[in-house]
Order: sequence, then structure tokens, then C-alpha cells
Amino acid sequence: MSFDWWTFGLQTVNAVVLVWLLARFLFRPVAGIIAERQAAAHAALDQAQADRAAAAEALAETQKAKDALAADRATLITEARAEADRQKQQILAEARADADKARADAAADLDRQRAAETQHWHAEAATLAVDISARLLDQLPGGARAVDFVPGLIDAVSKLPKATQDRIGTEGPAIVRSAKPLTGDEQALVADQLQATLGRAVPLTFITDDSLIAGLELDTPHAVVRNTFRSDLDRIAGRIAPDD
Amino acid sequence: MENPLSLEPLFHIGPVAISAPVVVTWGIMAGLGLFAFLATRRLKMLPGKTQTILELFVSVIDDQIRDTMQRDPGPFRSLIGTIFGFVLIANWCALIPGIEPPTAHLETDAALAVMVLVATIYYGIKGRGLKGYLATFAEPSWVMIPLNIVEQITRTFSLVVRLFGNVMSGVFVVGIVLSLAGLFVPIPLMALDLLTGAVQAYIFAVLATVFIGAAVGDDLPEPSQQTEASKP
Repeated sequence: MSFDWWTFGLQTVNAVVLVWLLARFLFRPVAGIIAERQAAAHAALDQAQADRAAAAEALAETQKAKDALAADRATLITEARAEADRQKQQILAEARADADKARADAAADLDRQRAAETQHWHAEAATLAVDISARLLDQLPGGARAVDFVPGLIDAVSKLPKATQDRIGTEGPAIVRSAKPLTGDEQALVADQLQATLGRAVPLTFITDDSLIAGLELDTPHAVVRNTFRSDLDRIAGRIAPDD
Repeated sequence: MENPLSLEPLFHIGPVAISAPVVVTWGIMAGLGLFAFLATRRLKMLPGKTQTILELFVSVIDDQIRDTMQRDPGPFRSLIGTIFGFVLIANWCALIPGIEPPTAHLETDAALAVMVLVATIYYGIKGRGLKGYLATFAEPSWVMIPLNIVEQITRTFSLVVRLFGNVMSGVFVVGIVLSLAGLFVPIPLMALDLLTGAVQAYIFAVLATVFIGAAVGDDLPEPSQQTEASKP
């Protein structure tokens, strides 16, 4: 066995050169790309961490905004409910007031209508009563005598004011109306009784008016003195329907 | 059959005798260098098959150094990785007919062992300082100085002899069997040589790592750097 020092030296140099070669062309580039990939992975992880933190922060912000919106919404709902209640109460009050007013108006209208109806029917009833009375009086045999109404007429004239009495017949003949034509005696009786009451003769004009039913009526420009069934019935009807 | 222990020069360059192991080593250097150059020309962030294998190889070397030395593998990666790769390829050269593994000759193994010895001293002084490194020879007592010096020599010599003996014996046995039996009879022994070659490359690289790691000591920054990117 021998030891070749040249070979030993050359192999030593070869080993050193090979170490340099592989360090230069193998280990350094490969380790570099591994380190680069690790750095990229770390950067990606850091970025992902940062993104996750940002996402968490954004989520927190979103949740906060959501909570604020929910609070605002609750406040708005509460206010809206309060406003709705207020408006409801107002509307109810107004409606109640309107209803009360409408009810009062309706009651007033009803009262008015009822009063009008009452007056109407009272008038109708009075008219009917007068008509019935007139028809009944018309059916009396011979009718009512005119002479029976003379005292009442003279009495009413005597109750007139003195000035009115003095003017009767001064501006033309006074008109004496009767339901049926007066006879000469009856006309004379009326003229005599007036002369006796007024103290002077009064010119008279006698007119027949069926609407008087019965009785006498003295008509002058300044006064009308009635003593007829028609006037009595009208007075009665006026009392039955006093507002008409 | 030639004596595997003999070393005849193939040619001379001036006074320098060029033997077969040197030529084979040049071939291995050329092949490894060319492969490394071609394979690392276009490294990408998304690796292909070749780049993945290379990254796996480098990562395994790094992990081995990190597990053994408990420190950043960057400064030692090229040396340990080159030793492992060269010894492995050199051992497996026995499979190529007509080519004898350079590691089957004492000069190559001695050159590698000397390189490990120099690296041990270099990294020891770099890590501890000259005084600190020399002080390690007096541990645990100054009485141990001669023994520690002898240990430095003997363990380097053991590196040489272990690798040389295993590889040379394999080549020798295959040669003997091949001369005595048929063409295919040595195949199982050659397969065994593959395993032996890989194991010896691993042992040589691990022992180099252990020696350097022991010389460097614990003064360098601790593996907080382990998770950081290793500098080549």
C-alpha cells in the first residue's frame, strides 16, 4: 500500500473547489429561493393577519354602526309611536268633538224639525178644527142670527179709544160685513146702536162675506172691529198654534 | 486483477502525476457543477420537480445540521452538503463499469478528512476565538491536553479509515467475486455497496457536523435564528 501525495493534494484542492462550486451554484441559490419563499409566506401571513385584523376591526365598526342604527331605529319607532299616539288622541278628540257637535246639531235639527212638525200639525189641527166648526155652523138650521152679534160688536166699539171712535165714519162710510145679507131691520139696528154708542150717526155700507161664517165686522180706515165666528176661530187657532 | 490499493498515474501534467481518482473526481465535479448550474438557473417561487428535489435535499441537510449543532445551518450548509453529496456520488461510482470510486483510495478520504479537520479548527476559532478554542483542549483539565490533541488526530484518521475501509472492501469483494463467478453474481453485492455507500456518506457528513459543532461550542446565537431564513 502506498500514499500518493500528489493525488492527496489534488483531491484536497478538488474538494475545496467542489465546495465552492456547489456553494455558488447549488446551495446558495436553493437556500435563497427557500428563504425568499419563506419571506413571501411570512409576508402573506402578516398580510393575512393584518387583513384579518382589519376585517375584525371593520366587523366591529359594522357591528357598532348596526347597534347605533338599531338604537336610532328604536328611538325613531318610540318617537313615531308617541307621535302616532298623540295624533291618534288628537284625531280621536277631534272626531269626538265633531261627533258631539254633529250629534248636538242633529239633536238641534231634530228639535227644530220636531217643533216645526208640532207647529205644522197644530196649525193643521187648528185649520181642521176651524173647518169642522165652520161646517158645523153652516149646517145649523137658519144659521146664527146677526142681531145676536150686534151687542158684542157695539161693546167692542165702545172699548175703542175715543180718538178712534171719533174718526169712525168721518173719512167715508164704515163698512159692515156680515156672513149673510142683513135685513133692513138688522141694518137699522146696527146703525142705531152705533149712533147710540158714538153719539152721532155713522154712514154705513153693508157687505156680505161668506168667510165670516157668522157675525158682524166693522171695517174703517183706522180700525177693524170683529165679532164673527171667523175671528173667534182664528183667535182660537192662533192660541192652539201660538208660534204660527 | 489489479491491486485496489495500488495507485498508478494515468498521465502527467508536468511533474504532477494525475491518477484515476483525480480524473474521476474531476468528472464528478464537472457533472455536479454542470447539474447545479443548469438546475438552479431558473428557480421559481412555485418549484418544479427538479427544484423540489433540490430544495428537499437542502432542507434535509439544514435540518440535520440544525438538529446536530442546535444553530443556524447557513455557515455550514455548503461544506456538509458538499461532503455528503460528493461522498455519495463517489461511492456510487462503483456501479459504473470501469470506474473505481475515488473514495476507495486513501488519498481522497484523507483529503476530505483533512478538509473537515481544517474546517473544525476554522469554525472553532471563529466561534470561540483562538484562546477560547485552544482552551477547549484543556477541558475538563489541563491533564487532558495531550489526549485531546491525540483525539483530534485519531478521529480525523478514523474518518479516513472508516470510509476507505468500507468502500475499498466493497470494491475489492465485488472484484474478487466478479473474477471468480459469472456476470450477474456480484449484483447483490453491488446493491449492498449502494447501501454501504449511502450509509458511509451519511456517517461521514454527520461526523463532520458533530466535530465542527463541538468545536464551535455554544457561544454562537441560539436557535432563535432557526426559524429565520438561513443565509447560504
